[in-house]
Amino acid sequence: MSDLSALLELVLLLGIPFVPVAAGVLLRRKFSPAPAAEGQEPAPLTPGQKAGRLAGTILLWGGILGILFMLIVALNFKGKL
Amino acid sequence: MDTLRALIAACALAAAGGPVFAAEPVQWKAQEHITEFKFLFETGKYKADSWNALSPDEQQNELRDSAEPAQQRLEAVQAYYEAAMRPWDTEQLRDYVQKISERDISTVRLWLGEEAGTELRAKVTAVREAMGKANSQDGLRQSDVDGLRQYLTPEAISALRSIKVMRGAQGQSSEFFKKSEVPKGAVNSTLSKVSGSLSSGVSGSLTKAFDGNAATGDASAVDMRGGRYQVPKNVMNGVSAEVSRPMGDFVAEKTAGVLNPGQPRGTTATTVKSAAPQQLGGGTKSTSWTSDAYGYTITTSDGRTQTFRDQRQAEAAIRALPNGSVSKIILYGHGAPGGQTVGSAYYEAGDTAALLKGKMTPGGVVQYTGCNTASIGDATLNPAVGLSMLTRRLLYFSVPYWQDRFSGVPADEARKQWEKTWNADLARDTSRQMGGTIVCGLRTFGLVPGRLPGVTRVMGNQEATTPGYVAGKKVCYQDGREVPEP
Repeated sequence: MSDLSALLELVLLLGIPFVPVAAGVLLRRKFSPAPAAEGQEPAPLTPGQKAGRLAGTILLWGGILGILFMLIVALNFKGKL
Repeated sequence: MDTLRALIAACALAAAGGPVFAAEPVQWKAQEHITEFKFLFETGKYKADSWNALSPDEQQNELRDSAEPAQQRLEAVQAYYEAAMRPWDTEQLRDYVQKISERDISTVRLWLGEEAGTELRAKVTAVREAMGKANSQDGLRQSDVDGLRQYLTPEAISALRSIKVMRGAQGQSSEFFKKSEVPKGAVNSTLSKVSGSLSSGVSGSLTKAFDGNAATGDASAVDMRGGRYQVPKNVMNGVSAEVSRPMGDFVAEKTAGVLNPGQPRGTTATTVKSAAPQQLGGGTKSTSWTSDAYGYTITTSDGRTQTFRDQRQAEAAIRALPNGSVSKIILYGHGAPGGQTVGSAYYEAGDTAALLKGKMTPGGVVQYTGCNTASIGDATLNPAVGLSMLTRRLLYFSVPYWQDRFSGVPADEARKQWEKTWNADLARDTSRQMGGTIVCGLRTFGLVPGRLPGVTRVMGNQEATTPGYVAGKKVCYQDGREVPEP
């Protein structure tokens, strides 16, 4: 039981930094500009879409930086950096 | 007349029989008095020559007088040996490894025989070698752990394994990218006190002399009247006297103190305190692109500031200061839950409190500038702080927990050990031991931009003794309570 909870915790801890990355990707997809018809300019983004994409971008890159942070700390901890 | 004859005859018989009833000389090391002879030898009172020079009556007197203290001594050594051969827990491990000496082993050998001495030596040697491995970069292997099970409790084995983790923690520098692997030479020099190779020459002398080589005079009898092998006065003198502190320690099962009462006992810590590495580079200026910044910054109440990198110089300077004169001290180095290095020094709460005892002004500040020198604290919305907390849990709980599990440590034991350790609060623990002093630490990993590789070289602060800006969540305590940062 102790092992199981420790394992679940480990998975959760390792997974947490990927949550903002996934959320960021989803937000950016959800608020992506609608595909333009052939020969026409793509429709400009609405303010809501812009905000959604900005939030998605922040989450995406924040998550990536977080993963990098953890990688660097772990490598440093192991004496690899 | 008949009466007179009978009287004369009786006197003549008595005179003739006198030598028959007189005391016989007792041979040195006679088996029927072997305990007394061990005692007389250990106290340095007699050797074979001086014993044989005594008259039979004097010999009998000596044997009679030493019978009781010899028996007490035998029982004390027997009890010491039995305690020493039981599996050691973490505190006993540290205590024994620091204090047990070749002379102690020789004494066990003298009183309890060759086999007992050899067994004790084998245990001490095995444990010290394991400590050496635990301090190395590779840490303990599974085979090492298996071999230790007969000597140490599972908790102590787990703690030994944690040394590697704590060493890793020292690499968790606040400059983040710095490779601060502990140099092997430093570890070795630290371990010189607990060298795994015990010299056989020393240990042999005592028992060898007693067991038949006294003529060479190479024995150095254990000085029982004081120093490292002190025994209770009542044992020494055969008279009632107060039981000495070593015996008190012994009764309290502080076993290692019995044979070596002169040395201070180690403090109880949540983990085995990892040996402190020596100074890097032997004091030469670092020329690398990475930082080697650490040091002591001491500010006195008259506004004077002194900085040091060398532990001995810093601690000597602190001791030389008058009581109540230090208004602020910054310990700058690499931290981990429950401890921080400053160059070659390693401080836990008790170490810092002992070093600064009485030296701080009322409301003076002790600043630990090292990662994770305080607990993580309450929940936060700051993602950087959250990430640091998460990483701390991973590195100081999950990683060592699974290392222990793979080494065969029971799950409950491993969990208990690391739950206790991962969120230790060095700053709070120190403040509890330094009444009135404000002690600050970092709840998070600390990022010092000036220590970034390359940047440190450009700025020329590779060996800075005082930190500049530190990105991290700081917290301060006074008497164990959180207080605003001064």
